[in-house]
Amino acid sequence: MERRFGKSMALLHTWTGVLLGALLFAIFWMGTLSVFDREIDRWMMPDTRLAASAPQSVRPALSLDRAARTAASIVPTDAAQWRFDLPTARMPVLRLSYPDQEGNALVRHIDPANYAPIPDQGTKGGTGFIFPFHYSLHLKWLDLGEWLVGLAAMAMLVLLVSGVIIHKKIFAQFFTFRPKMRLQRSDLDLHNLTGVLGLPFHFVIALSGLIIFIGVYFPQAHVGAYGSGAAAKAAYTAEARGTYKRPTADTPGALASLDAMAARATREWGGGRPFLVRVWHPGDANAYVEMRRSYAHDITMNLDQIYFDAHSGAVLHRFEAAPVMSAQRFISGLHFIQFEHWTLRWLYFLAGLTGCMMIATGLIFWIEARRARHASQGIKGAGIVEGLTTGGVTGIVIATLAFFAANRLLPLEASFAGQARATLEMWAFYLAWIACFFHAWRRSRAAWREQCRLISALALACVMLNVVTTGDHLLRTAASGMWAVAGMDAMLLVLALLSAWAARRLGSAETRSAVAGARRVPVATEPRP
Amino acid sequence: MHALLLAAASLAGYIGFACLALAMPRHWIEVSGRKTAPHRRWLRPCGFALLGIAYALCVHRDGASFGSVLGMILLSAAAGAVALTLAWRPRLLSLLTLSPHKDHTRP
Repeated sequence: MERRFGKSMALLHTWTGVLLGALLFAIFWMGTLSVFDREIDRWMMPDTRLAASAPQSVRPALSLDRAARTAASIVPTDAAQWRFDLPTARMPVLRLSYPDQEGNALVRHIDPANYAPIPDQGTKGGTGFIFPFHYSLHLKWLDLGEWLVGLAAMAMLVLLVSGVIIHKKIFAQFFTFRPKMRLQRSDLDLHNLTGVLGLPFHFVIALSGLIIFIGVYFPQAHVGAYGSGAAAKAAYTAEARGTYKRPTADTPGALASLDAMAARATREWGGGRPFLVRVWHPGDANAYVEMRRSYAHDITMNLDQIYFDAHSGAVLHRFEAAPVMSAQRFISGLHFIQFEHWTLRWLYFLAGLTGCMMIATGLIFWIEARRARHASQGIKGAGIVEGLTTGGVTGIVIATLAFFAANRLLPLEASFAGQARATLEMWAFYLAWIACFFHAWRRSRAAWREQCRLISALALACVMLNVVTTGDHLLRTAASGMWAVAGMDAMLLVLALLSAWAARRLGSAETRSAVAGARRVPVATEPRP
Repeated sequence: MHALLLAAASLAGYIGFACLALAMPRHWIEVSGRKTAPHRRWLRPCGFALLGIAYALCVHRDGASFGSVLGMILLSAAAGAVALTLAWRPRLLSLLTLSPHKDHTRP
């Protein structure tokens, strides 16, 4: 009985891993990059690289009223709403977003020093491309992307549990890594090591990812308590998340002082500051202002919000989440890491990379265990999975670097075939990724080395392109405190070095195995000294 | 002070896991060079105590919620660092065996 259970768990682990491994790697890779999404934004949007020249306490306080005048000059008069995301330690600019005629969100940045709008940077950047890729794969049709990511997260939980069950020496090999052993052994060691040591992190991350999207994966969750239909759904949303709405009056109205409202909100929250300010029905007599409380110093992403009448500044509605919702927001906060904690941010980045390693080594183990047998039996399985793995692992890294390189190469006004610059950058990503898959299937084993070389060259090129197009080299960014850009360049250089080293190792391993293969017979019969 | 506490927590986590690793015969032999099984009985309790101290330092530094998250990930990283030390520089840990390394492969 027990042996059969172990066998079925092994089968489950193997096939879930092979089928979803490449997808899981893409999600983990993008999630790991999303840890530094705002820093990537600074690198990709050079005009927003405002160094924090003076500490927050010395700088003059931001005037929301002055910023609102700038917003009024940008936002079309018939927009249903517009919103400010206030500057933070990770985002030195004021972010203005508003819907266009078709309802797509447009983003502009405002310099908080002089309230001047910063020219459109023509990119989705880390927050607009990499982060949504992590949770939706940019597949909007039928929410297919979010469902696939949900499936992958569920699969991750299955893989972790079945992996623990089939790992026979989980304690005896707790610290075991034998890099000098043959590939299959050292690869499995690394898979076990990253899997076991990263288990708490990977489990919490996969589970919290599912819990964040409770509204997508359990769309009927509220029906039991609230009933079905649009009205029930609205009542649930209002009670759980605190949405407040009122219709337009269709007569013009003026906006009172946002600074006074923010001061009032700070008083009401006992010193907590707003991080988001949104004006609903701007210019209408029934306009109202939504303020949400910052969670920069908490794990829990609180849902505290206050709504003001835009004309009089009177409080219309106040909301604080109930305990159950707060629990959900705590778990979400563990995943979103919107708090300011640099040590944890780097550790999350590191833990995310070990997750990537766990997935990649698992796939490589599957291939290595079958390569010889499939070759002798004429089965294509190992070859297909190897192409999928190379394209999914080194390929997505190349695609990401192509995205960064395109960002530095395309002129600000670039457009092609009616596509805006931001879309062209994404094309660069997808085209590079597809090309990597084809290359991987054509070159099989050699593709690892060749793609590693390309990663190295591209990462180095990205750093050079950043110097050439913006003049911000590593010494300058580090000296002037532009840590986001300095960190991005430093990580690119580390990536270039690591992949160059990997390419060299792969190259020498290939020569060794080729030489050993050619001389196998004489070597075996040579007398030993 | 904050950085110091973090360094102390990392060090406690690292040494704690190193103690736990040395309590295992395989790693003990590898590090100490002695073929006999571990006779240092204090290694295991010491290891767990140090892990507890590392976690406590994290909670003291950052409070219960941030400290717990930091503690968990920091301990994972520390265990990983011990595994990598054992893979590439096992002799570095011979300090913890409180006896000089003895190469049992030589007569």
